Amino acid sequence: MIRIENLSVSFGDTAAVKNVTLELRDGEILGLVGESGCGKSVTALTLMGLCAREARMESGRICFDQEVLAEAGKPRDEALYRAYQGARMAMVFQEPMTSLNPTQRVGRQVEEVLKLHTKLNAQSRRQKVLETFEEVGLRETERVYQSFPHQLSGGMRQRVMIAMAVILRPRLLVADEPTTALDVTVQGQIVSLLQEINRRQDNAMLFITHDLDLARRLCHRIAVMKDGCVVEQGETGQIFTAPAQAYTRKLIEAAPSRMRQREIPSSGAAPQTPVVEVKNLSVFYQEGSNSLFSRGRRRAAVQGADFTVYQGESLGLVGESGCGKTSLSKALLGMNRMIEGQIIHHTVRPQMIFQDPYSSLNPAKTVGWLLQEPLRARGALDPGLAMTKGDMEAAAYEMLLRVGLEEQYFHRKPSQLSGGQRQRVSIAQALITQPGFLVADEPVSALDVTIQAQIMELLQKLRQEMKLSCLFISHDIHVVYQMCDRIMVMREGRIIETGRRSEIFRSPKEAYTRQLLCGS
Amino acid sequence: MRYFAKKILTLIMTLFLVSAAAFLAFQVIPGDVVTSILGTEATPEREEQLREQLGLSKPPVIRYFSWAADVLRGDLGVSYRYSKNMTEMMPVAELIGDKLPVTLYLAALSLAFILVFSIPLGVIWAKSRSRLLDAFFGVTTQAAMALPSFFLGILVTYVCGIVLHLFAPGGYVSYQKDFWGFLRYLLFPALSVAIPKIAMTARFLRNALLTELSADYVRTAYGKGCTGRRVMYCHVLRNALMPVLTFLGMIIAEIVAGSIVIEQVFGLPGIGRLLVSSVSTRDFPVVEILILYITFVVIFVYFLVDILYRVVDPRISEK
Amino acid sequence: MDTPSVRPGPSAPRARKANLYLAAGLVMTGLAVSLGVLGLFWTPYSTTAMSVPDRFAPPSLAHPFGTDNFGRDIFSRVMQGMGTTVCISVLVVLASAAAGVLLGAFTGYFGGLLDEVVMRFTDAVNGFPSILLALVMISLLGNGRQNLILSLSIVFVPSYVRIVRSEYLRLRDADYICRARLMGVNRLRVLFVHILPNILPVLSVSLLIGLNNAILAESGMSYLGIGIQPPEASLGNMLSDAQGYLQAAPWYALAPGLSIVWLVLGFSLFGEGIRRGGV
Repeated sequence: MIRIENLSVSFGDTAAVKNVTLELRDGEILGLVGESGCGKSVTALTLMGLCAREARMESGRICFDQEVLAEAGKPRDEALYRAYQGARMAMVFQEPMTSLNPTQRVGRQVEEVLKLHTKLNAQSRRQKVLETFEEVGLRETERVYQSFPHQLSGGMRQRVMIAMAVILRPRLLVADEPTTALDVTVQGQIVSLLQEINRRQDNAMLFITHDLDLARRLCHRIAVMKDGCVVEQGETGQIFTAPAQAYTRKLIEAAPSRMRQREIPSSGAAPQTPVVEVKNLSVFYQEGSNSLFSRGRRRAAVQGADFTVYQGESLGLVGESGCGKTSLSKALLGMNRMIEGQIIHHTVRPQMIFQDPYSSLNPAKTVGWLLQEPLRARGALDPGLAMTKGDMEAAAYEMLLRVGLEEQYFHRKPSQLSGGQRQRVSIAQALITQPGFLVADEPVSALDVTIQAQIMELLQKLRQEMKLSCLFISHDIHVVYQMCDRIMVMREGRIIETGRRSEIFRSPKEAYTRQLLCGS
Repeated sequence: MRYFAKKILTLIMTLFLVSAAAFLAFQVIPGDVVTSILGTEATPEREEQLREQLGLSKPPVIRYFSWAADVLRGDLGVSYRYSKNMTEMMPVAELIGDKLPVTLYLAALSLAFILVFSIPLGVIWAKSRSRLLDAFFGVTTQAAMALPSFFLGILVTYVCGIVLHLFAPGGYVSYQKDFWGFLRYLLFPALSVAIPKIAMTARFLRNALLTELSADYVRTAYGKGCTGRRVMYCHVLRNALMPVLTFLGMIIAEIVAGSIVIEQVFGLPGIGRLLVSSVSTRDFPVVEILILYITFVVIFVYFLVDILYRVVDPRISEK
Repeated sequence: MDTPSVRPGPSAPRARKANLYLAAGLVMTGLAVSLGVLGLFWTPYSTTAMSVPDRFAPPSLAHPFGTDNFGRDIFSRVMQGMGTTVCISVLVVLASAAAGVLLGAFTGYFGGLLDEVVMRFTDAVNGFPSILLALVMISLLGNGRQNLILSLSIVFVPSYVRIVRSEYLRLRDADYICRARLMGVNRLRVLFVHILPNILPVLSVSLLIGLNNAILAESGMSYLGIGIQPPEASLGNMLSDAQGYLQAAPWYALAPGLSIVWLVLGFSLFGEGIRRGGV
């Protein structure tokens, strides 16, 4: 039995975790859910004794069975902790690429655990590592053993991390967003692997995630965190069917999932007028450096794409990372000219919203300047549309209000805004010239669930008000479901299935689409 | 393999470009070589004879290629300024030959100092938790980096030579006569070259170490139960040394430059001093060969660093 | 996406330290630069008037840094030398940075043949010790103040091209630049209104580093006798003179030498302050 009692942790003056009490029994999976910055990772890292030096334990203690591992006010017994770390408790991190030493063969890195905690000789250590690799579902274990992290795929790397964590059958396994950095289909495999290990080794698992749907499927009990506090704790079924707290309800409702699909108004009459027509489009990219000596080879990122976006419609494009959806969108907007086939635009200056709200606004400018820049650019290109300074400013203010930001943000710089606010400015900047066509490339993927829901709502509202046609790209089929009338599924550079939203969901033709639907 | 071919091709191309640019640039500068060698009093016949002898009557491009062909055959030409005796001109090869080892040993000794001192310093600095120690290192390295090598040389001369009598300022023993004595004379110049670079390298290494220490894999290592020591020496140090390798390549180029000045300060008869005097007297054949030589050294060092990097960092050798 | 708040932002002590760097740097450079600039127009004593009975006077109230082998006041000569050094270095840095920004912006943003040519050239020149290049340039152009400025400027251009180019290369595909292009913003405007302000932090730090390199290169060349020529005072040629009289007048070497250290240290503290905490 592992207990966190009344734990408070602070960094300088800010409290990150406040009076958290958690209990884990053998064989149990406890889900710790909450939005970014709610303190769930700090709780886990403190439990593991891996918190940064600046972190201070203000109150509480951490107990492993009868042993007190850490207690507020007492210096931590490093040697005691080291005996536990890796052997009796182990952790799997979010980003398997950076969590492995890039210059060491992964076999050696896993073996280090045995070196530190057992007296096995080199031969049996190696044998044990290879066995564990097999247990976590890695094939060609010899080759994996000899590989460097960059030579493995994301899923394989995470399996290596898991092997490292479970090789000594720890009593406690902490998994901090272990699937977030992975593709949907791989996510499913990793989750079932963790489940299987939990059953086989009968260890307690603390599973940290922002994804409620995932927590519901995997965890026996769930603790919901907000602003450093545990607001609700209970059996999974109870949390989902009868949440006691308003915040928990809000989280459940915001999550884009199959369980509760909000009804979105379809955009009226059957769309007829095409806005963009794409005919047999292939998009290429140059592989390798493009220097005097070596012309990189041309590789196709998209092959034979064929589709039309109609007036007023929102078309969804789903696929996993690297499937070519971003290449397609860039080509569509003329940002990549290495293409074959045809793109016919029936509108002028289509605009785009990017995934990362932190990099899509020029950090050196104010919000007001950013909103007026499209108008200035249009005026410079077409003197007929040139506006006076005052008019541009007024238009910028109006747009700001339309995306739900107050006037005071006009003079702020992007660095003074939150992620959601930035995405609003981004949307305002894209729509201020009233383009007929908008490409939205994962516009909500970098945001927290509750913010995600707000931004999606805003996009829906503006789309109807402005009679906007839109290509909506996402890796999350549920997000696309909420936003779009028609959906295209893309895999390895090809569009494999297109259909109305309801058709795709009720009767997907392709096995891959089915995998996407139930993978996450 | 293709990589090596490419690198060597670049090396040759750069040498060609640099030598051609230097050669042609020296042709357009005003002032007649012949007059400057013979003085204004010489007879026209003598002038003509010398012009013929030096091959100056042909057009510059042709002269460049014949010069380049000579260099490739090992004939580096003759100095305009120095002569062996009254009738023979001094071959550049001979002129450089006995000065080269001085500069090379100086550079090697400086590099050794840098390696020996900067790596432990950088590690200690990165590991230091005390604010005071950190501030001390910060200020000392900043100050050391602000010391120009020639002033440092003068300081060393004054303190070690004049006050402490550790060596005789301005003295020098040829390496052919007394190798250890020669090295002793190089010790202080090498220190003067090395001290600012030690500060720079230690600082660079410390920053690289701090960057690595904040990487995710360090947390993983602690999570396995590694001690701080083990994390530093088994995981972090090696990764932090990789960027330092590139930095050291740059430092070596700087050492070459530093030794040019430091030879002047300590009166060492190396190629740096020869270069300075040849530049001020416009002894073109000597300058040209020295430029070529230094270019070669610098590029070759970068080449070596590049190869080393590929050996050490698995991420690059893959591609 | 959950970013564990293990590493909090810049904490208070760090910010205070950055201000300390900045303040120390500002005070040091402020003092040196104002003394130097003053020294170009007025000095307590003539910098050239010789007086044999006063030679090698140790530091005193009348001559704070003492006198040299010709009985000239070293403090006055240091003032003038500092002024000369600072002026030359500033001119060099401004000229080379301007050229570097233009070349770097176009090559980094557009790539292509121009980029290829410029990069081959800067690759060859870069990493090459700058004082060596300046030496060669001087041997081509001849001695003299203008030639010194010209050759140092040319020598420093590649380093700026490299920095500016890599910044433009990095930002060329930034999301917000892609968006500017989508809006139809004019290319020059993208280069100099959208991108340039974003590289200013990097540029200003490298300007200060460049200033230090220029100071070191100028004084180094004057020390070697191929920069500012006597009797005009410069920190480098004073040091070279002083070296002959180390035994008799150690202060003679100390004064110009420490002035160089003071200048360089001031600028690098200043740069460190900017790099750490922003202005």
